[in-house]
Amino acid sequence: MTTCPLVVAPPETTANVTFDKTMDDRIGEVMRRYPTRRAALLPVLWLCQERFGWISPGVISAVAERLGDSPAFVDGVVSFYTMYHTSPPARYVLQVCTTLSCSVCGGRELVEHLKAKLGVGFGEKTPDGSFQLVGVQCLGACGNAPVIQVNDDYYENLTPQRLDAMLDELREGR
Amino acid sequence: MPKLTIDGREVEVAARTNLIEAARAAGIAIPYFCYHPYMTVVGQCRICMVEIEGQPRLALGCATSATDGMVVKAETSERAKEAREAVMEFLLANHPLDCPVCDQAGECLLQDHSMREQRGTFTSHMAETRRTFPGYERRLLGPHIVQNQNRCIHCSRCIRFTSEISETAALTYKSRGNSMFIDTFSGEAFDDPMSACAADVCPVGALTVREFRFRKRAWKLRSTPSICPGCSIGCNIFIDHHEREVHRFTPRENPAINATWLCDYGRFLADSLNEQTYLYPQHRKAGRLVRAGWSEALAALALEVRAARPLRVVASANLSNEALFLARELFGHHLRGDLVVPVTTGEQRRMKNGRGEWLQATDPYPNSLGARRLGLNVVDGDGLSRFLYGGSGLTLILDAEAHPFLAGAEALQLLRVGATAVWLRREHPLAGVAGWLLPAASLASDEGTFTASTGAVQHFAAAFSPPGTVRRMPTGAMSPECPTIASPWGPPGEARPLWLVLTALARELGASNLDLASPAEVFTLMARTERAFAGLEWEPLGGLQRDESLRERQHVG
Repeated sequence: MTTCPLVVAPPETTANVTFDKTMDDRIGEVMRRYPTRRAALLPVLWLCQERFGWISPGVISAVAERLGDSPAFVDGVVSFYTMYHTSPPARYVLQVCTTLSCSVCGGRELVEHLKAKLGVGFGEKTPDGSFQLVGVQCLGACGNAPVIQVNDDYYENLTPQRLDAMLDELREGR
Repeated sequence: MPKLTIDGREVEVAARTNLIEAARAAGIAIPYFCYHPYMTVVGQCRICMVEIEGQPRLALGCATSATDGMVVKAETSERAKEAREAVMEFLLANHPLDCPVCDQAGECLLQDHSMREQRGTFTSHMAETRRTFPGYERRLLGPHIVQNQNRCIHCSRCIRFTSEISETAALTYKSRGNSMFIDTFSGEAFDDPMSACAADVCPVGALTVREFRFRKRAWKLRSTPSICPGCSIGCNIFIDHHEREVHRFTPRENPAINATWLCDYGRFLADSLNEQTYLYPQHRKAGRLVRAGWSEALAALALEVRAARPLRVVASANLSNEALFLARELFGHHLRGDLVVPVTTGEQRRMKNGRGEWLQATDPYPNSLGARRLGLNVVDGDGLSRFLYGGSGLTLILDAEAHPFLAGAEALQLLRVGATAVWLRREHPLAGVAGWLLPAASLASDEGTFTASTGAVQHFAAAFSPPGTVRRMPTGAMSPECPTIASPWGPPGEARPLWLVLTALARELGASNLDLASPAEVFTLMARTERAFAGLEWEPLGGLQRDESLRERQHVG
């Protein structure tokens, strides 16, 4: 299994966003599933993150207009949730679990190892834009602790050695 | 109509009234921060907890409706007191102790309730340092609003204000939990036509009005009920003043017109009330202006108006009903002169009333409906130019700012033909052509009524007596010609409200029925003789409109 890198739309397309036909249809599809337009906000934002890679102010404006809400409200929702990227993410977002089970099963060592190896802290990206380190709360896979979620995939039962192999594999995969 | 008992007092309230309002009707003040009578109830601050007989848990006063036979213990409940004390401790855990340098101090709900609810203990179990928001401590959120996020207690009143009242939905919470803060979308300026109301509803000093910051401590201000002069909607305001200087307007509650709101345009007219360029009656003699006393001016004017053929009077929709009535009776009926009220169209203003309906106006005068109801000849700019055209005689201009046409070259040209007397307060081109310059007092030292666009006749009181009327202070004799405008004995000069000048002129002219001593007497005469004012009485208009100072302060402060 190889994790796919995140694709980030170029800055010129995220500054002023207008939804194309496909995107607009997909948003319309999502909105039909909900009783109010506001209720469709979270899934619509997911669609946008999938399409543009992150939720830029331009995306927020476009979504607000499409759903008939104020940009400030949408901005507030985006900033509430941690899983919407509010800046362009790296190709691989490493979400390291820092909750109890992982921490006692070697998660802390993993974090130390990653910080030293990549030379970045939580919330930071490597200069080449390959990796972004994020500390998260329980990923719900305590049985296979310690766990790291890379983009949408789980990597479980990790040790520093396996982690190194994983990072190399991801690097080559680019 | 549920009947309930609160702290042993029986009270009957309308259905669906919440316990805060029910308690208020019974004369009991339940503290609150996030509740606001004109906005959605969210129950966020948890300070309004009360004990209800038969319910094991404490209930929120704002989110609980009064029901028949309910027995509530609010201020007498030890459990509620303890809970509120705990809530206060939570709210104060992160609130900076900067009251001495905070502009809200003195009108801060947090300050008031911490005095009241903490019962003088002022303990905190907080050992950690306080949460701060670096960079958000003195941030200009918009043109009129300064934000200090450290002081915010997350009541969401400002957010609800923008989404429910001004409908711009410009403010929002960003982030979550402990790091939640108030912000606009993507750092845009908070530019809302009613933006300063967000600072009004802020119970603490997190949002303050830029124009008023550090001008005056809240406890020094005296509030006088008045009417906003900005447009015909007639929002009810308080003129907040100290030592004869107007420092700000704040909204005064009136559910039919402005609920508890005020637009930025009207609010920031406050400063203009302090402008007083012309201080004494002046007379032009051989091309030069010579200062005269009022008695001299009135005697000379009386002679001139009596001899004038024709006598033309330009009144103004900025004048009170009383002044307009006096002008009509004196110049129109007594002296058989012609009188017009020029009006123009201004920018559109909007205000939301207590039922959530927008009131609109493009009429920039506070009293044009009053002029119409008094049967005066209301004309536009063209009508005014025709009125001024031709003929010598005497023209009285009762308010230089009655119409922009009066400041134009054409009007000045027309007025050069005859004699002119003009009442004015600020710099105006008419001062160059008029034979008599008469200083007018500002709204702050005038008294009377305006008829709002809704038809309501509304009273405005004098915040302080006109300049120069105080000659003595307890500290000793003071001449009215004191050097500084901010001096405690008031600005110099002899500007007088128009009703006073017109009654004095009536005395000179022997119109004894108009020789009245106060706006109240003018109003009484008007109510007797004018259909539009029939049945109205001064007392209920002129007296205190509500004896609910606590309510006013709680949701505006």
